[in-house]
Amino acid sequence: MVTVALAGNPNCGKTSLFNALTGARHHVGNWPGVTVERRSGTIMVETPGHGAIELEVVDLPGTYSLSAKTEDERIAASYLSEPDVDVIVNVLDASNLERNLFLTTQLLELKKPMVFALNMVDDAQRQGLVFDLETMSQLLGGPVVGTVGNRGEGIEELKGVIARIARTAKEDVAREQGPLRVTYGPDIEGEIEKLSVEIRRDEQLAARMLPRTLAIRLLDGAVDTLAQVEASHARKAIQAQLGLSARHLEEHLGADPETLLTEHRYGFAKGLVLEVLDESHSAPAVPANRLDRVLTHRFLGIPIFIAIMVAVYALTFIVGAIPQEWIGQGFEWLQGFVASHLPPGELTSLLADGLIPGVGSVVVFLPVIMILMGCISFLEDSGYMARAAFIMDRLMHLMGLHGKSFIPLIMGMGCNAPAIQATRTIESRSDRLITILVNPLISCSARLPVYILFAGAFFSPFHGALVVVGMHVLGFALAIVMGKLLRLSLFRREHTPFVMELPPYRLPIFRTTLMHMWEKGSVFLRKAGTVIFAGATLVWFLSHYPGLGDRQLAADYQRQTSEIKAKGLPEAEESAALQDLDFAHQGRIMNTSFAARLGAVVQSIFRPIFDPDHVREDAWKDGVALTAGFVAKEIVVGTLAIVHQAKEESDTGEVTPLQESIRKNSGLTPLTALAFMVFTLIYTPCLGTVAMIKKETMSWKWTGFSIGYGLMLGWLLAWLVVVGGRALGFN
Amino acid sequence: MDTQIMDRQPMRLSELETGGRGRVVKVEADSLIRRRLMEMGITRGEALFVDKVAPLGDPMELVVRGYHLSLRREESACIRIEREL
Repeated sequence: MVTVALAGNPNCGKTSLFNALTGARHHVGNWPGVTVERRSGTIMVETPGHGAIELEVVDLPGTYSLSAKTEDERIAASYLSEPDVDVIVNVLDASNLERNLFLTTQLLELKKPMVFALNMVDDAQRQGLVFDLETMSQLLGGPVVGTVGNRGEGIEELKGVIARIARTAKEDVAREQGPLRVTYGPDIEGEIEKLSVEIRRDEQLAARMLPRTLAIRLLDGAVDTLAQVEASHARKAIQAQLGLSARHLEEHLGADPETLLTEHRYGFAKGLVLEVLDESHSAPAVPANRLDRVLTHRFLGIPIFIAIMVAVYALTFIVGAIPQEWIGQGFEWLQGFVASHLPPGELTSLLADGLIPGVGSVVVFLPVIMILMGCISFLEDSGYMARAAFIMDRLMHLMGLHGKSFIPLIMGMGCNAPAIQATRTIESRSDRLITILVNPLISCSARLPVYILFAGAFFSPFHGALVVVGMHVLGFALAIVMGKLLRLSLFRREHTPFVMELPPYRLPIFRTTLMHMWEKGSVFLRKAGTVIFAGATLVWFLSHYPGLGDRQLAADYQRQTSEIKAKGLPEAEESAALQDLDFAHQGRIMNTSFAARLGAVVQSIFRPIFDPDHVREDAWKDGVALTAGFVAKEIVVGTLAIVHQAKEESDTGEVTPLQESIRKNSGLTPLTALAFMVFTLIYTPCLGTVAMIKKETMSWKWTGFSIGYGLMLGWLLAWLVVVGGRALGFN
Repeated sequence: MDTQIMDRQPMRLSELETGGRGRVVKVEADSLIRRRLMEMGITRGEALFVDKVAPLGDPMELVVRGYHLSLRREESACIRIEREL
């Protein structure tokens, strides 16, 4: 098998070319240790006279350079220098050739067999750019194929060319004379040679990469290569020569080696473009982009952006709620079916109250995740995402973030889990991490039932509405403050410049968007599903044991059930009585559960915020509800109903029995109820969000940090509410 | 006091108005940012054109080497240019 790596700039159409090459047969995973997606696929290509050849095509992250300064560049650079990579396919955006060729000059230095795919030639043609592929191929020292990735044009030819090059690559035909090289002029070449001499002292080092290439990468400041040298026994000699060379070049040519190399590379790129551009088709003036004038208009730009955000939000969380409802009902039906058709007991409870809702709580995320990811993929491929970041950057910069952080924050209002997945579009790791860490502070729709419960129980409708809105405002305000704090404390030194390409607008391919949705959905199930499922089962155990295993309790329940049935009541009355009994039984289990014991243990921690006067007998119930709420925050309401033995639904409408009970019996006051709401907003991300944070940061440390700071911040804010409220004379 | 010295310095890209053209004289930023700017094609002698400024006043969009690039004021202030008419 032959390994083929696709390398190119972001926005060069690399992924659609990859899809066209591999069809649907590809695998999506992560590069080891990072959350950058790795796509690979295997194809068979017929070569005339040599039979079929098997190619493994690997899509590298899009990069502008190989200097290994960013995560993506590090991955690309290290993968490309592996001996496994037999052929490099350099994908070039035909309408942006000069800048794309900069990376090419670095790829050429790796001295691997190369094929060039001049992609999106149709776009270029429309702009009047016609290329002489023959000349280009001679100048680059490798075959050039014109392609249109998203329409599959030129793909067969490209496959054939790759196969031909791959075959000769396997036969190891004259690598040294391979593709062309960029020459840097006598002064720089002299220093490259001196460095190469020092590098050759370490045979192992010289065997890993050609000494000339290594010397150039050192002069170019490539981080990974500098680290390689650090480990070499010839370290001192090489580093000394590197210092001498840098000084020499500085003195003679008036600039540091990085600048000089970059200038030469761009000089090569510019010269090549001049050579291969067919002047006879001289370009008509590019029509001013009217669409762009409107979308980024000084006055219209922001309203249009808001309208697009509202549309994405509505599509995701309002339209997405419909299949979500079906899924919820489906699982509820299944739960009811299992509960009524299996004999009551621990196994039935494990199935009906543990596993089925556990799986349900994973699957229920799918519609919103897939829709949101579809929208984001569409915005990204159309070129609008970069404009959205352009428009919002000023605002986001105030919180120490990137323009691209805005969309994940807004989508957090629907659900934090998919919103965190949406941070994938942010290139810089520190910007991404901050956006992920502050996202759970944005109040999601699952927290609304909790606010409504307490607001309805303790406040007038008007004040209640103010409180609910206030919770959302508080969430945003905290996200801004925490974003700034995290930037100033933990990520202080990682200043990443905002240097963002604004790619041309393009119509996204429907199939690509669908494929993207499918990928995101299945990756979510595989990666986050297990964590959510395990957590849901754990919470089920904590809130059902030891009561569920208690034979005495089960026997009592059985006896009471038969007693009711023996009375021969009318059907409606009987089922109501049975429901009441079941509710009471659940309450008994819950109130003696491990979660209840945990609630009693942590009661003293919660006392300052939920029970400042030490008068509430029921204070331990808060802990039970909040523990259960870890699975999903709306569960807080259902759990409160069970522990307080008061129904969520009301027969009369106005105030539900649960609200009545919480107001009269729980001992909470309006002020401590407010503290409870504030704590619920902040305390810890729900399980789905935690699983997503783990998946997207690939770090238990950051996941733990997120839970820990949430708990502390939630407590602190709730305490401030209580202390501040009392100081102002509220109760 | 320093105005005379300042005057002799070429203007900053951030001072160039929308629609203005210039040529890069030098990039005065710390190594990482300078590196990134150069890789994106902002090298000595290269021509630039300010296409527009974002609705909120920052960042700016410029055209360099035939493509569109967006830079914050922080970064564009590091780029010294010579205005072209």
